[in-house]
Amino acid sequence: MKGYSGRFLKVDLGSGSTGFYEPPDDHYRSFIGGAGLAARIFLENGDFEADPLAPESLLIFSLGPFAGLRLSGSSRFSAAARSPLTGHWADSSCGGNFAPELRYAGFDGIIVSGAADYPSLLVIKDLSVKIESCQELWGQGIESTTSILKHRFGQSFKTLAIGPAGENLVKFACIMNDGHSAFGRTGLGAVMGSKKLKAIVLKASKKTFYVQDPENCKRLVSDLNNRAKESVTLGVMRENGTAANLEGGVHLGDVPIRNFTSNFWEEMAEALTGSTLSEKYLIRRANCAFCNVACKRVVQIDDGPFALSKGPGPEYETIAAFGSLLGSMDLAATCKAGRVCNDLGLDTISCGSTVAWAIEAFEKGDLGLSDTEGLKLKWGDMRTIIENLIPLIAFRKGKLGLLLAEGSVSAAKRTGGDSDSYTVHAKGLEAPMHDPRGGGHGLALTYAISHRGACHVFSPMLFMEMGACYYPEIGFDLELDPLSSDNKPEAAVVAVTLGALENSACMCQFADREITIPEWVELFNYVAGMNWDIEDMMKTGRRIFYLQRLINHRFGICAKDDVVSRRLLAPAADGAPEGIGINFEEMKRRFYELMDLDSISGSPSRQVILDHDLVIEKSLVMEDLF
Amino acid sequence: MEFWKDETEPIKAFLALFENAKKDPELSEGLKKVNQLIWFDYTEDGPNCSFHVDCRNGEIKARVGKPEEQPDLTMSLSADDAHRSWSNKLNPVMAITRKKIRVKGSATGLLKLAPKLKRVASIYGDTLREMGWEGKIIA
Repeated sequence: MKGYSGRFLKVDLGSGSTGFYEPPDDHYRSFIGGAGLAARIFLENGDFEADPLAPESLLIFSLGPFAGLRLSGSSRFSAAARSPLTGHWADSSCGGNFAPELRYAGFDGIIVSGAADYPSLLVIKDLSVKIESCQELWGQGIESTTSILKHRFGQSFKTLAIGPAGENLVKFACIMNDGHSAFGRTGLGAVMGSKKLKAIVLKASKKTFYVQDPENCKRLVSDLNNRAKESVTLGVMRENGTAANLEGGVHLGDVPIRNFTSNFWEEMAEALTGSTLSEKYLIRRANCAFCNVACKRVVQIDDGPFALSKGPGPEYETIAAFGSLLGSMDLAATCKAGRVCNDLGLDTISCGSTVAWAIEAFEKGDLGLSDTEGLKLKWGDMRTIIENLIPLIAFRKGKLGLLLAEGSVSAAKRTGGDSDSYTVHAKGLEAPMHDPRGGGHGLALTYAISHRGACHVFSPMLFMEMGACYYPEIGFDLELDPLSSDNKPEAAVVAVTLGALENSACMCQFADREITIPEWVELFNYVAGMNWDIEDMMKTGRRIFYLQRLINHRFGICAKDDVVSRRLLAPAADGAPEGIGINFEEMKRRFYELMDLDSISGSPSRQVILDHDLVIEKSLVMEDLF
Repeated sequence: MEFWKDETEPIKAFLALFENAKKDPELSEGLKKVNQLIWFDYTEDGPNCSFHVDCRNGEIKARVGKPEEQPDLTMSLSADDAHRSWSNKLNPVMAITRKKIRVKGSATGLLKLAPKLKRVASIYGDTLREMGWEGKIIA
């Protein structure tokens, strides 16, 4: 098929062998790529019984069909595995520059299995692949690992690496591309660490990419790039990054404060917002490959306790996770915390959330000085958090480091008492920095029904509730009120379908806001020759959503697991959403009805499985269900 | 037009709104932070139906018509939707997405004003009352 290479690189680190895996064409057509195709590959090749950190587990990197196009937002890709943090199916996405290079090298992805006996480096030059020992890199931070690899192989080589957190199997370890872009969520860095795979380096000698309809594709890509350049919302992102509207978010009650106990903190709003970052610390803007949006930040802090050399700056999630969530409005501290987490290889969302949980546990007496080995945990004490707590977690040092390295949900289970009541998550994944009570009630629903857990990029619901989506071609012309549960199940049906498409096509949820539904269809047809109409495309999105649920069912996930923490549903204490409750159960009931999901198993009905061509030979899914 | 008799009415109302906004310390500070020359273009409802606000250099000056200098930001919409917008009855993100508001230039400064829209709406209501236009207030 055009638009794809037609092959995945297979690497067995246990035997040291490499080879190719060529998925059949209908897998590409039915599951697109990225998160969708990774799920399909796992269904065929994965071991449902394997512990996420066992050699038998699979770690799958998967490109979408558009990686390699010179199109804004198209240079993302997915990583997928059974998550060590949540115990069920997970995927995460990453921007940067690795995805197009992998496509140019001749691959649609990489499937890693087994575990090496020694720290290993995977070297890919076009179709030539080598596994090398890299003992000297083990223990190094991601900054120095990336720097050493670039020095050794050349600046044009692209890198994926884990830090000490991944090596030490911290359950929310991330994987970083060239030290600036992350597979942040669900702990896939620990899966890579369990395989003793420290890094992957990659170079393609040619930059060729074949599409089905070059002429129309060129025209469409040019139109979309021009629109991305001219878009007012993307212009705001270019100017002030993904935190451009943090100030507005505070006034809506969207930005979480002190472990989601408050929805309003006026002084913090201006202190942490994107324009303040631009004024105080921005050195230059940076972008993923071929992207006109350039929402990434490069910052430098010349003096003060959080002085920082020129390098990657924080995006919104990191600013909130190490700012308002921890009771701090010190912007420099968020920059420093983000840089330290990146270097150690920690997901900033889960890390900030786990620290927030620990501070509240200490405040409430569920953790004492004996548990923290003398460390006093306080809201806003960013020095202690950055200099002590984050390194303890990454290196699993001491009682506290060992406890928190498991993530907030496991830490609460081990701690006992009432400490579970102030974890904030869905299916074990800590909630991102958008509080559904202010950001939009529909977010509570999509956090809950997401296969990976509480995730804001599982679907575009956040954008839909703020009014940034208008898709009359598929019947989405609802004017949603974020502070109401009305029409949210109907919106969620569209959101999960579009989210599955976005995460399988591996398109950036910011950049692709400018793409209309007919243009999405054109992209798939011009690039990959899908020959779809709108309904074909939407059916594919739904198929992927259902497949991910079926896989999760095999991991024991049921309808009762489609929930969010009580704290996210309790009426807000202050701010714009003060006193307003979320009608979660009714939203969920209606969503289940609309998507024909079983109220006990949470899985799609037999008819839905048949209608979406999901009767898959060799899959045990059907036998289990019926 | 649903709310206005002719093209002069909305401009009178909006200029009065900005005069009153200048007197409100919180809003005045907010507007100064916008630090842009903004043209509010409602010319789809008449060739003279527009005004501009210059929030640069720590001052707030609102005048009829298009500014002589190139504006940092132009917002084009109908005078009725402008009325809904100043009344905080129009979600600006939704309106931009649905092309009810067309924006040219940098909207970064305007984002600073977004949290103050409730306050603007309150002052706008008072302004309409002062002008004897209670009937135009959207419930």
